[in-house]
Amino acid sequence: MSKKVFVIDINKCNGCHACQIACKDEHVGNDWSPIAKPQPDSGQFWMNLTERVRGTVPKVKVAYRPHLCMHCDDAPCIEVCPVEDAAYKRDDGLVIIDGDKCSGCRLCVEECPYDVVYFNENLNIAQKCTGCAHLLDDVWVEPRCADACPTEALRMMDEDEAMGIITDAQIWKPELKDKVKPRVYYLNLPGRFIAGTVYDPNEKEVIKDADCTLTEASSGKELNVKTDRYGDFWFEGLGEGEYSLEIIKGDRKESFEKIDTTSEDINLGDIPIML
Amino acid sequence: MPGEISEEKRVKDPLATKADKTVYKALGLSGGIYGAVPCAVDVKNGKIIRIRPLHYDAKYDSKTFNPWEISKNGKTLKPMMKALPSPFSLAYKKRVYSPNRIKYPLKRVDWDPDGDRNTQNRGKSKFVRISWDEAAELIAGEIKRIHREYGPLAILIQGDGHGECMFVHATHGSSSLLLDKMGGFTQQVRNPDSWEGWYWGSKHMWGSGLIGMMAPANNLVKDITDHTELLLVWGGDPETTPWGFRGQFASNIVRFWKEIGIRQIYICPDLNYAAAIHADKWIPVLPNTDAALQLAVIYTWIKEDTYDKEYVDTHVVGFDKVKAYVMGEEDGIPKTPEWASPKCGVSEWTIKALARDFADNVTTIGHYFGGGMIRGPLSHEPARLEVVLLGMQGLGKPGVHQTQIAYQGMPRNIVTPKTGGHMAMFESLKNSKYGDRLLKPHSLTPKAWGKQMIPKTLIETAINEGRVDFWGTGGIEVPTSDQFVKYTYPIPKEEGGTEIRMIWSDTPCRITCWGHGHHIAETARSPKIELFVAQAPWLENDSLFADIILPIKTTIETDDISPCVRDGESFQSLVRMEEAIPPVGEAKSNYEAVLEVAKKLGMYDEVTEGRSSSELIKDVFDDMGFDKYISWEEFIEKGYYVLPVAEDWEDDTAGLYDFYKDPEANPLPTPSGKLEFYSERILKNFPDDIERGPIPRWIEKSETHDERISSERAKQYPLLLMSNHGRWRVHAQCDDITWTREAFTCKVKGFDGYNYEPCWINPGDAEKRGIKDGDIVRVFNERGGTLVGARVFERIRPGAVSVDHGARHDAIIPGKLDRGGAINSVSPAGLTSKHCAGQATSGFLVEIEKITPEQMGRWMSEYPEAFNREYDPGSGLRFDAWVEKRR
Repeated sequence: MSKKVFVIDINKCNGCHACQIACKDEHVGNDWSPIAKPQPDSGQFWMNLTERVRGTVPKVKVAYRPHLCMHCDDAPCIEVCPVEDAAYKRDDGLVIIDGDKCSGCRLCVEECPYDVVYFNENLNIAQKCTGCAHLLDDVWVEPRCADACPTEALRMMDEDEAMGIITDAQIWKPELKDKVKPRVYYLNLPGRFIAGTVYDPNEKEVIKDADCTLTEASSGKELNVKTDRYGDFWFEGLGEGEYSLEIIKGDRKESFEKIDTTSEDINLGDIPIML
Repeated sequence: MPGEISEEKRVKDPLATKADKTVYKALGLSGGIYGAVPCAVDVKNGKIIRIRPLHYDAKYDSKTFNPWEISKNGKTLKPMMKALPSPFSLAYKKRVYSPNRIKYPLKRVDWDPDGDRNTQNRGKSKFVRISWDEAAELIAGEIKRIHREYGPLAILIQGDGHGECMFVHATHGSSSLLLDKMGGFTQQVRNPDSWEGWYWGSKHMWGSGLIGMMAPANNLVKDITDHTELLLVWGGDPETTPWGFRGQFASNIVRFWKEIGIRQIYICPDLNYAAAIHADKWIPVLPNTDAALQLAVIYTWIKEDTYDKEYVDTHVVGFDKVKAYVMGEEDGIPKTPEWASPKCGVSEWTIKALARDFADNVTTIGHYFGGGMIRGPLSHEPARLEVVLLGMQGLGKPGVHQTQIAYQGMPRNIVTPKTGGHMAMFESLKNSKYGDRLLKPHSLTPKAWGKQMIPKTLIETAINEGRVDFWGTGGIEVPTSDQFVKYTYPIPKEEGGTEIRMIWSDTPCRITCWGHGHHIAETARSPKIELFVAQAPWLENDSLFADIILPIKTTIETDDISPCVRDGESFQSLVRMEEAIPPVGEAKSNYEAVLEVAKKLGMYDEVTEGRSSSELIKDVFDDMGFDKYISWEEFIEKGYYVLPVAEDWEDDTAGLYDFYKDPEANPLPTPSGKLEFYSERILKNFPDDIERGPIPRWIEKSETHDERISSERAKQYPLLLMSNHGRWRVHAQCDDITWTREAFTCKVKGFDGYNYEPCWINPGDAEKRGIKDGDIVRVFNERGGTLVGARVFERIRPGAVSVDHGARHDAIIPGKLDRGGAINSVSPAGLTSKHCAGQATSGFLVEIEKITPEQMGRWMSEYPEAFNREYDPGSGLRFDAWVEKRR
């Protein structure tokens, strides 16, 4: 049996929440035992569309990311489960918690490094994404979330078929890669940005083609861009750390030290340079 | 009976896991005959188990669809093999089984037709259960009495607007089938509620278009792909408004354009959902100040000589007058970037850069209804200035268009005529035997209906003042010239004219969807209105002010048919729409509800014309000509049909290319045949109108509106509020879905556990007022207030706040303070402008303040009934809160 992976292209995600809602439509009020018992009406997000606002007006973007069970090959939930076969891995790679066998000890809820195992107080069981295994066991080739995705940002693929794509993909919490071996791959997760607008306060004109050089403090690595027709410069895909920036137009120069992207993206605003 | 099918003959849907039946339903919410968003509803034991996108190729070979392709720079856009529903279509199970469903007919406890009607208690007192028989008897008796005492036109039908997709059972307007045969009725004429500016403004400049936007608009997706370099998305949000109309294909188009290198600039006060992911640049303009920005762009082009002078000379009337105004020759004020910047909040250097970018590149302007630009006070001015901008850069030239993204302009299917656009598919129905019956409830043409009309924006004035004059009905299908016709309500007595005494509404959402909702709520209590009947699936908004309420089925419970034939989806289709589940409670369809009343009046046979609903369903199939493409038997066995793409669609003329190429041979439908920057007609008819003069202008303050930051009022109410159509609703629809209400931008949980409608506030504006994200906030002006939840973030510019319209009204102090976040409760009551009976519900002055637990406590002790009503944060307001258990 070919193994399944999720491949999620962040560049294609439009943040519509269809994945999150389709998951609820499939699981709230429906009992798919032994794969899944009903999900509570609210509060659980087996597929969770997260969103984060980046930057400040007017250099703002929104980063969406569907977050779900990573169906780890070395899954901590299986590892920690004290009941035999209550949490198990299928031949297709999907990790299932059997609602009939689960004792409600909550160890998997605490142990999951991705916080994707939920506890159902009414049923006294742990619950999470099943990859819609009950549908795949019928004739479906992808789970409800992927079927509902309008942009093909979210796909379930056979691992063999996906090899060319996932070798360069990222995983969430890369430090866990070797430890838990997740089966959810992300493409185009955004890095930090540093941006701004350069203008001439006397002429009240934007300054085009100014040379902007960004230097990463830790490595000394330099990046160069020119301001565009709006006087804008954008450095994207940056890491979390300290940077310095030099903007040069003709014989005029403006410098910024200690730009810190550790916790946020940076808009340096409208930067006046008198020519 | 036509339309019935034995289980053995039904072609099984392969994805119907564990279901015993799959029914296909158009789950778009733009309503009526304009179906959209076909979904598969899997049912087991009479309950919905899942709702999923229809896979077009589930029962057909996709080759027969003749799928289109559009390619550029090595990338290809093509239709997907499934429908792309929005999250609220996918969550429709929650709508069907909502705790807010009306389960049986209701009567207001203290409404007594033989005694005191207590109209002052509308919206305050509760309801009791009555039988269908009692309800129909009461309504029939009142119709007879009102006809006798006042005449037929004393009954107003509110039967228009958006809603679920139903054809034969007609979400709106079914009551017209009865009253039309009893001497007529007064018609509420739906105003162009999402596109006021185009209708009252640009329609005069290019003369065309039902809605006043550029028309024809055929084949634009391909032409923009081939030729456009820069896309300005000005106001509207292609990642929000298409959802309820056509689903999400617009998202794929916009992303494809980005991938092939069409730069996208979003000009809007909010970082709307499309700007959030597609924008190469966001230019946050202050709400409803676009006219100032546009004028400064025009100024820059004239100053720098960067517009298409040859085109202007040959295609345009009145450029010299616009030029004189812009350059200050008319009023001494040149409309420079320096002049515009403090008005619109965009820096001078950015205005100049935008003007040059626009002039240097082949530019199209994109919209999708609503947004921060087109629904405000005086919205005809930015609408007209947009035509000036496009005209100065050669409108109609390859790549230079106005486009309602994906709403029109996609590859044509085989059923759509080559000219006339997607609306033309209903033409054959008009001349068929039962066409009148089928189309009447859906007709927006006043000529087909009411002898006596009231524009939707003027209902309250008509009730309160007993008389109203207006210019143009505002009807969507009427020509521009209607805007110069003066109408009066009531019409002369000898023609049957009379004031309205009864309202029959199947659209009970005016409080949250039209201007100054607090005033609408107050007026609903007028003793002049002796009976208010509401029929709807859900108990909310205006229904709470009704005297009799009828429970209506959702589309899921109704047997119908829906042609999903308009642009904006992967493929167009025809959906059978069988009844999927039994009715919830005692619900009947809109049409069936009217028939109950008709029976009591002895009018049943006249209304049905002897035709059953299932026969009418087949009439739609036959009379729209689908029998040419598929047999009725195959259609009902499969449950849907996909319209193939026309072989020669690529040759279709794009937009106004013919006019661009030869304006003499292909004139526009304006008096001059040219693009009229200056309208002689407007000047002649309204010589003293300074709000909408012959050329578009920036108007600081006027007779109708005083909503600028320069106003005296701004000292008290310094923020400009913008209001778009909801991301998580379609107007008032879908506010009760527990699943969408969990989204970060859908609701904000207050300290009291109530889920408030979010108000977007910039961190700087919030800090000045001591407001933090998650706080309960009052948005207010002298028109009243509404409570909202603070969403403090960088998705809104300083000086502006944003609340989506359409949240359910939940009065604390009726007519003054609302808890539901129905933002239109404080929007201007006034029209678009003096002679334009549109609404002005975005871009007005407000202040915001933090609500403390102490303040909330005071309201709780003063208005206990408002706070003691049963409420569930998951889904919000509930049916049980308004219904007394006793009989």
